[in-house]
Amino acid sequence: MAGYVSIEADDRLEEQPDLEFKTFEAPATNEQHGVGRANRGYIADAQRSTSFWSLDYYQTFFDVDTKTVLFRCINTLNPLSPTYTSAHLNPAPDLYGPFWTLTTLIFALFITSSLAHSIVSYLSDDPVSYDFALLSVAMGLVYTYGIGVPVILWGVLRYGGIIGTGGEGWGLVEAVGVWGYAMFVWIPVSILCIIPIRLVRWILTGVAFGLSGYFLVRNVYPVLASADQKAVRLLIVIVAALHAALALVFKVMFFSYYIIREDDPKKPISTSRSFPR
Amino acid sequence: MDQLAPPSGSPLPGVSGNIGSSSTTAGPTREMLGGVRVETRFGGVDTLDEPITATIGRDLLSIFNKLVQVLYPIRKGAGREVLKDWDLWGPLILCLLLGIMLSVNAPPNQALGVFTSVIMIVCLGSLVVTVQAKLLGGRVSFFQGLCVLGYCVAPLNIAALVSCFVRVIYVRAPVAILAWAWCIWASVNFLDGTKIEAQRILLAVYPLLLFYFILAWMILIQ
Repeated sequence: MAGYVSIEADDRLEEQPDLEFKTFEAPATNEQHGVGRANRGYIADAQRSTSFWSLDYYQTFFDVDTKTVLFRCINTLNPLSPTYTSAHLNPAPDLYGPFWTLTTLIFALFITSSLAHSIVSYLSDDPVSYDFALLSVAMGLVYTYGIGVPVILWGVLRYGGIIGTGGEGWGLVEAVGVWGYAMFVWIPVSILCIIPIRLVRWILTGVAFGLSGYFLVRNVYPVLASADQKAVRLLIVIVAALHAALALVFKVMFFSYYIIREDDPKKPISTSRSFPR
Repeated sequence: MDQLAPPSGSPLPGVSGNIGSSSTTAGPTREMLGGVRVETRFGGVDTLDEPITATIGRDLLSIFNKLVQVLYPIRKGAGREVLKDWDLWGPLILCLLLGIMLSVNAPPNQALGVFTSVIMIVCLGSLVVTVQAKLLGGRVSFFQGLCVLGYCVAPLNIAALVSCFVRVIYVRAPVAILAWAWCIWASVNFLDGTKIEAQRILLAVYPLLLFYFILAWMILIQ
């Protein structure tokens, strides 16, 4: 069995020890990107112009540090903050926060609703049973709302000619970022909603709806208002209606376990199981 | 195997091949055959005519070695080299075991759903966490990350096994929390080597916390 023969051309490579790597990082391109993108030098050797399909393209949207993400999350809870509408865009929008906010919310909804369920079952002397379907329901609901709605809204605005072609002002990443960060308030609320008192849960859901809805409106309305046609502003009603529907679905599906004693005469037996209603 | 020898004249001193599980790679031998210079290599193990038990045994041993290395990552140095030779068999076995153990204990009408969601969470979770580490600028090989995260599920398997037999919540909760902490410790040890900056190491660790916590939670409430 004959193996490969080493050919002469390969030997020539080894005879040139002084190969130098050329740097492609011209200062001009850095300044060009410094306007829109965070350029803090974490990814020093990242190529600046990469295609949509490569992983490097998305690295610019994950160029954040811990403090920035935490500040952006907390910022959405405080409408009086001076940076209320600008913190998540400055210096550049990121995708880390929105994605993990949504994912955390899914798991928080599942964990807290199953915890609330077991507490309630324990208090009302019911055998505990679990509903793993809630996990996939939460996943579908949250990802559809948190990613689908901004993408559709952006598509409508973009192809209706309301926002510019270059993504200046309001790009896809900004849209997803607004929705993602707006959902942050639901994470602490879903934990607090373990408290099995009907009134407290309604108040908490209302507060979360108000905070996240206000954040959405404050961010989306200026974009809609910049259109020439006045009718575009009516889209904000659709956004608000969708948000209210989501809040109601959260309340009904995940925050609705109540203590029901078997010996409570006022409740009919058929609804006395602590299933979500 | 000799067909795969690189065409370069002499191998670079720092580069060593790793074929099969052989650690002692003999240097290439050269000879002239009919005026043609021929280079042959011998990997140290002749895998052609060995019994199949030896082949499977070697693979299982390599899985076991990696498991020990991932779960007890104190031994630095030579031990870390084991992980360079990644495989996905170990993660697959661990993931299936976890899914089976959880679904056996689930109510019959939910067993399939539990199995599916465990497999999905483990697969997608480790995929997302690895991509995430790359996006945050970590120097990590993609499949190596998948391999390590898959092996890190092993403590949760122990917790699932324990809670198969113990129904008392006061035993199951500490066991699940301990297993969770062990997973985190093992996988953070791996992330340590990916050179993510200190300001954002928390961003890389947080998805891990979430990923293993949801699995630990499913074990706890089954």
